[in-house]
Order: sequence, then structure tokens, then C-alpha cells
Amino acid sequence: MIKLENVSKVYKGDVVALRDASCDIQKGEFVFLVGPSGSGKSTMIRLLNKEEDPNTGHIFVAGKDIGQLSSWKVPFLRRNIGCVFQDYKLLSNKTVYENVAFALEVIGRPRHVIKTQVPAILELVGLSKKQKNYPDELSGGEQQRVSIARAFVNRPLILLADEPTGNLDPATSVGIMRLLDRINRTGTTVVMATHDRGIVDTMRRRVIELDRGAIIRDQARGVYE
Amino acid sequence: MAVNVNYVVRETATNLTRNITLGLASVATVSVSLFLVGASFLIRQGVANATLQWKGGIEFIVFMQPDVSPSQRTALQQQLEGNPAIKRVKYVDQKASLAEARKIFKDQPTLLQPIEDDPSILPTSFRVTPRDTDVRSVDALKRLYQDKPGVYLVKAATDTIKTMQRITGVLNIGLSVTAVFLFGASALLIFNTIQTAIFARRREIEVMKLVGATNWFIRIPFMLEGLVQGMIGAGIAVGGVYYLNHFFSKRLASQNGVELLQNFVVANNDVLTTSIGIGIAGALVGVISSAVAATWFLKV
Repeated sequence: MIKLENVSKVYKGDVVALRDASCDIQKGEFVFLVGPSGSGKSTMIRLLNKEEDPNTGHIFVAGKDIGQLSSWKVPFLRRNIGCVFQDYKLLSNKTVYENVAFALEVIGRPRHVIKTQVPAILELVGLSKKQKNYPDELSGGEQQRVSIARAFVNRPLILLADEPTGNLDPATSVGIMRLLDRINRTGTTVVMATHDRGIVDTMRRRVIELDRGAIIRDQARGVYE
Repeated sequence: MAVNVNYVVRETATNLTRNITLGLASVATVSVSLFLVGASFLIRQGVANATLQWKGGIEFIVFMQPDVSPSQRTALQQQLEGNPAIKRVKYVDQKASLAEARKIFKDQPTLLQPIEDDPSILPTSFRVTPRDTDVRSVDALKRLYQDKPGVYLVKAATDTIKTMQRITGVLNIGLSVTAVFLFGASALLIFNTIQTAIFARRREIEVMKLVGATNWFIRIPFMLEGLVQGMIGAGIAVGGVYYLNHFFSKRLASQNGVELLQNFVVANNDVLTTSIGIGIAGALVGVISSAVAATWFLKV
């Protein structure tokens, strides 16, 4: 599903974010990206979503070399990739329902599809009763659930999560992880960058550890370190 | 990709109302600049109509009697062409005179009707361009020909006509330069308005890109915003041009006895052409400025 071949990314000022990274992630896998701040986790997420391009190497998503993708095709790649962030990126002037519906509306989904899919996904994330609330009326955990609902409402093949529990307390984080696990069980490949030792050690999924841009460990059913 | 019309209309309306002061500034600048372009065009047309007979440096016109014999006419033509003080002579026959009358009285059918009924009442004429255009030389030439056989009247370009041509020439340059500057300013203002709108909605745009909205889907509401501003500005300018034309037509028609000013008329289809031009210019400035801004600030 995802393949990195000798991928390097260097920012201005010779800051190496990723160094000759290679890995292969199969369909339906759940992968943790771990490592200290500045180790290259977020860069890897941004490269997979084609928010940035590598300096060298190739990245394949669903069998396609995304480096060869012309710019007008990038939106269509992104429709297959859901993204969840630490800061939720919700629109404060829209309700929970509207935030999720927005993701379908802007890719041209017809209204009847929106009307059936949005309530279904809000049911899945446990926010059916709060669909008319605005983001600032929700707790951090609930906001992150809305963000996950928005990322998953289009049933993407891949879900990228960049520190999704970074702003949440441990109990709320467990709820979010249960939700991501449930999504993973539907066949969606989940790649999650995290600092949360407890979560990684509890879940015992594949762990890719980065240090100063290099992959130093790739372990099935691994722990944080 | 299917573009949801409801979405596009809603987003365009939101953009327009969110940034109302900057939007109004854009509309005002577009309308003033296009009004000046339109006014300049109409003045040019009006002057062209009023001085139609005097185009190309013609200083005097020798009108022939309606019953002039061909030999008299040929003799006069030879005298005119043989005169070393004369640079160019153009003979205007009845057919050409009729065509000219049709142009001048395009919107005055009551004046045109008797001519159309009997074109023979129109005199034929020689349009003369002398080498030396100072008043004395022209006057001497005029006196030389006014008593020749077959000549009905010799009419010289008056100082009024020359002054009118000169003033409107300067006025037109002034109006055109101002209009070009204002047109540029309106393009920049629309560009700025769209940039501000994009900045105000950066969070939404970020989410749209993340979930896979195409660039065109993101751009279209902003381009429509520019188009609407350009079109509203053009609409106001067209209103201004119609009012200006109406105002002057009324005033000039009442200038009894001032023949030249009575000829200063702008045909309705000139006003229509100007209005269409203004509309197209307004739409283009709106769409192009906003498209440039949207492309510039909405990189993938």
C-alpha cells in the first residue's frame, strides 16, 4: 500500500529531515512512527500526503509513484488518504455535522450521499448527539473524533495521523486509539506518528523508529523502545 | 469533477459580504475607470460626427450649385488641382454626400427623411486641403473660388472647429491616461481583495486541500467574486455613460443656431457598443485579476 525507496528530504540550511529511508507497508497494517522531536515523523507524513516532495528517492502509494504525479492529480491522491492532526484543524464556524459534510461537499459528492454518510460516520465516532454543536463546545477528545470522522467519511484507503493524542489526557487517548483500531479493522491502513509510549506499548503493532531522519528500527508487534 | 452550484453560489456570496469595504472600493474604482473609458469614447465619437466633413486637414469646402453643369464642375476641379497652393482636392458626389448625411443624422430621422426622399437637394462639393493652413492663405483661397461659375458657397473650417478638435484631442488623451491608471488600480484592488479573502479563509482552504478538493474547485468562488465586482463596477459605469449621453443630447439639442454643437450627437448604437465594451472590460478585469490572485496564493 505504501512503499518508500531510499527517500531523503533536506530542508533549507542543510537540515536533514529524512535520510535514505526505505520501508514497505502492506494494506490493512497499523504502523506507529516513533522517535524524538525532529526525527522526521511529521516529514514522512507530509511526504506521504504529497504536501512536500522528497529530494531523492521514490514514494509509492497504492502502487503509484507519487513523485511522477502531475499537480492536478494530487487532489485525487488525497481523496484516498485521510489525515488527522494534533490540532484537529476543525472549522470553528461550522457545526460538527457541517465540518464532516464539508469534506464530502468539496470533492463534489451529491447531497443525498452526504445525507447518508455523515450521520453514519458520526454514529461510528459516537457523536450523533452532538452534530449540531460547534467545535468550541466540545472537549479535546470529541474534537479529535470529529477530525477522525472527517478524515474517514470518504472511506480512504490510508489514514495518516500525526500525533492525534498529543493534546489529550491518557483516558481520552485510549478512546481515540480504540476508534483508530476500529477503523483499521475495516481494512484501512493506519500510519500514526506518536510520542505516546503507553499507547505503543499497549497496542503492540508494527513500530518504525526514526532518529535524525534515519529509520533505525522496523519491528513487527514492537514497543516504544 | 462535478461542481456543486449551490456551494459555489453560497461561497461567492460569503466572500463578497465578508470583505464588504474592500469589495466596494474595487467596485468604485472599476466603475470610475470604465466610466472614463466610455466617456472618452463617446466624446471622440461626438467630435467625429460634428467634424465629419473636416477630417484629414480639410480647411475649406466648395459647395456646387445643384444645377451645376458637368463642364463647370470639371473646369473648377482643374483649377483647384492646378493651384500650387492646394495640396489635395477630393470630390464628394451626391452618393457620398448622402452617405455622410446618413452618418451625421443617424438618430435624427426627421432631418434625414427629406434628404432620403430627394437626394438631389444635397449639393456636391470639393474638399480642399491647402498647403498653407494659416487664416490669411485659407481666406485668400476661399475668396478666389467663391465667385466661380457653378459655385454655391465656400465654407472654411472655423476656429471653433479647430479649437474643438484640439481641445477634445487633449481631453481624450487626459481621459485615456487617467482611465488606464484607474483601470490598473482597479485590477490591483481586485487582486488585493481576493488575496485578503484567501487569507481570511486560509483554514478552510487548508482543509479543502487536505481532503482532496481540486484547485479549480477552490479557485472558482474567488474568481466569481472578482467577476461580480468587475460586472457591478461595469454596470455602474454603463449607467453613468447613458446618463452622460442623455444629459448632453438634451443640452446640445437646445443650442439653437450653433450648428456645430447640434451635430455633436452620439448615435444610440455607439452608446450600446460602448456599454458592451465596458461590460466585457469589467468582466475581464474582474476575472483576470482574481484568477491571477487565486493561482498565486493557492498553490497545491
